[in-house]
Amino acid sequence: MSTRLTGYRRPDGGWGIRNHVLVLPLHAAANLAADRIAAGIPGAVAVGHAWEAPPGDPDHDRIARTLAGYAANPNVYAAVLIAIRGSDVAISELAKRRGARVHVVAMADHRGTIGTVEAARPLVASLAKEAAGAKREPMPMSGIVLGLECGGSDALSGITANPALGVASDLLIAEGCTSILAETPELIGAEHLLARRAATPAVARRVIEVITGFEAAIRELGVDVRGAQPTPGNQAGGLTTIEEKSLGAAKKGGGATVVGVMDFAEPPTAPGLWIMDTPGHDIEQMVGMVAGGANIAAFTTGRGTPTGSAITPVVKIATNTSIFRRLKGDIDLDAGAIIEGEETLDSMGRKIREFILEVAGGRLTSSEVRGNREFAISRTVSPMTAFTG
Amino acid sequence: MTALRGYRRADGSIGARNHLLVLPSVVCADQTAALIGEAGAIAVVHQHGCGQVGDDVTFTERAFVGFAGNPNVGGCLVVSLGCETIQGQRVAQLISGRGQRVEFTGIQLMGGTVKTVDDGRARVNRLNELLALEDRAAASFEALMVGIETSRATLDRAFAIADAALAAGARAVIAVSETYGGRREVERVRYGERASSRLAAVEHAGDGAEQHVGLAGAGAQVIVSIREGWQAPVGCAIAPVVAVAGDQAMYEALEDDFDLGPSASADEILQRSVAAFNGERTASERRGARDFILRRIARTM
Repeated sequence: MSTRLTGYRRPDGGWGIRNHVLVLPLHAAANLAADRIAAGIPGAVAVGHAWEAPPGDPDHDRIARTLAGYAANPNVYAAVLIAIRGSDVAISELAKRRGARVHVVAMADHRGTIGTVEAARPLVASLAKEAAGAKREPMPMSGIVLGLECGGSDALSGITANPALGVASDLLIAEGCTSILAETPELIGAEHLLARRAATPAVARRVIEVITGFEAAIRELGVDVRGAQPTPGNQAGGLTTIEEKSLGAAKKGGGATVVGVMDFAEPPTAPGLWIMDTPGHDIEQMVGMVAGGANIAAFTTGRGTPTGSAITPVVKIATNTSIFRRLKGDIDLDAGAIIEGEETLDSMGRKIREFILEVAGGRLTSSEVRGNREFAISRTVSPMTAFTG
Repeated sequence: MTALRGYRRADGSIGARNHLLVLPSVVCADQTAALIGEAGAIAVVHQHGCGQVGDDVTFTERAFVGFAGNPNVGGCLVVSLGCETIQGQRVAQLISGRGQRVEFTGIQLMGGTVKTVDDGRARVNRLNELLALEDRAAASFEALMVGIETSRATLDRAFAIADAALAAGARAVIAVSETYGGRREVERVRYGERASSRLAAVEHAGDGAEQHVGLAGAGAQVIVSIREGWQAPVGCAIAPVVAVAGDQAMYEALEDDFDLGPSASADEILQRSVAAFNGERTASERRGARDFILRRIARTM
């Protein structure tokens, strides 16, 4: 099976299954330039964000790690970072250390947005041409780093799509892949089950720490987790409590051993199942996993969502046939077939595994066809409260 | 000073622009909103609307509603996913409650991206037909509200600009990152809430470009962005931004994106704001900036 896999070998040992040129603004003031630079160049893609990089931002390291990790994702052939000043090198240096091939264009060297666009477009066009000419090589199964996500869950999530994805994840891990289970608030209530599967007592402690820590951080705001979870859509879909949602959400991780726990946007260091500490917010979670190196993602949805990622193919799996049909063109696979009696959990799991491998080989997912590139940066503190004294 | 001419709104306010805004109620609808916007509207993108808790939910909801209710917006289309925390349908109702012309569409409601884009574009076309019938008319100076981005370092300068606006018969609103502690008497308004006095301060507006959304929510048709030395200019999707550099080196390095250098006087800044009100495009508008940067008061769930 593994002989048919192909990808792009990266100098640091990672494997890309896509070969994008990423145009990444390091500052909100560079969003427009980044967007215009990538526009109309096949293979080039830009994302935008709201960070103004204020001096002394307590979330600086987390955000820098996210941006640098995104640039260093193995699906990125080269990243063109749009800085304000050429002297702002912290993120580009970090990206290089994470294995990224980086170019920096500083707006201050080009009088502003228009000059920056004019200067960077030929560079991006030439990188995109190089990327398009690169050849895929045979890739080992260990080259796959799979991000697991669920969003817009309903009462069937924990019965169809999530456990089927868990079967797929277990099969892939047995073949040498890495999987990432995330969305910490949606693991609340399932921590004991995950801790029991930890590779070592230290990992088990981290699992408990991270999940109960998130709950405590939310409680410190003076609100009950249950105020945001389940969301209005989850409730309309038949979910009644966060525990019910969590027990279903955790099933995406199958039954594999939990080899480690990572902070947001950190890369896994060995194959197997990892837990990443991320919010449940679909886009923040996806960006965290991609910045951690996920080169493919599987996203189950009950209510239906069109979202994807700028650089990582996202395989979307409906929990019910009705939403699969209703959101035709936005969702790739229908795990509702389990309820319809056309598939078993096991056969659906194998089907998902097969589809993931096809996508790894170049088959485009719905969100890739649509060009979805939602992006969000996860913060741990209210943005500027630390400055107000 | 020249007379003002603007677009008269149902609530009595006067717009400096007649924009059609496409507002996603959640990040998951960003791409769909952007595709709809291609039909001839200003689509904003943002990363919020879901996984929010407590006061942060009402804070963001009020910011959406205030922004869409700004006098520069002649009409608004809200684009929802359907399962989000801040429900798009409710946001549309609240915007309508402020007297704004508003339409709604949703991805789960319509059944996917393609159908939502078709539906949204049809609504945009209908709204644009109505907007095309409107024209600028003479307005008194009192109609102008200058919004001023303010930091601790620039507070005195912000008040000098506000005073120039008040002296000309216009109104002014500043923004402060947390609570207002100055000696001047001001009306305190919340982020996203409309100001009713001649001089107001938006509290808990955050810093930098986050303040723009609060100033627009207060009713400012023109935003004066007094940047600090390290900051590059950021625009605002629905309002002309007069960007004033924080230092000479940054001004020279990014001259195309700034409107004025660090030594610009309060009167010069006001004159530029009045010209912008009447239709002169600022640097942010010339380059096509569509920034919409929201302040958040809690972490995401």
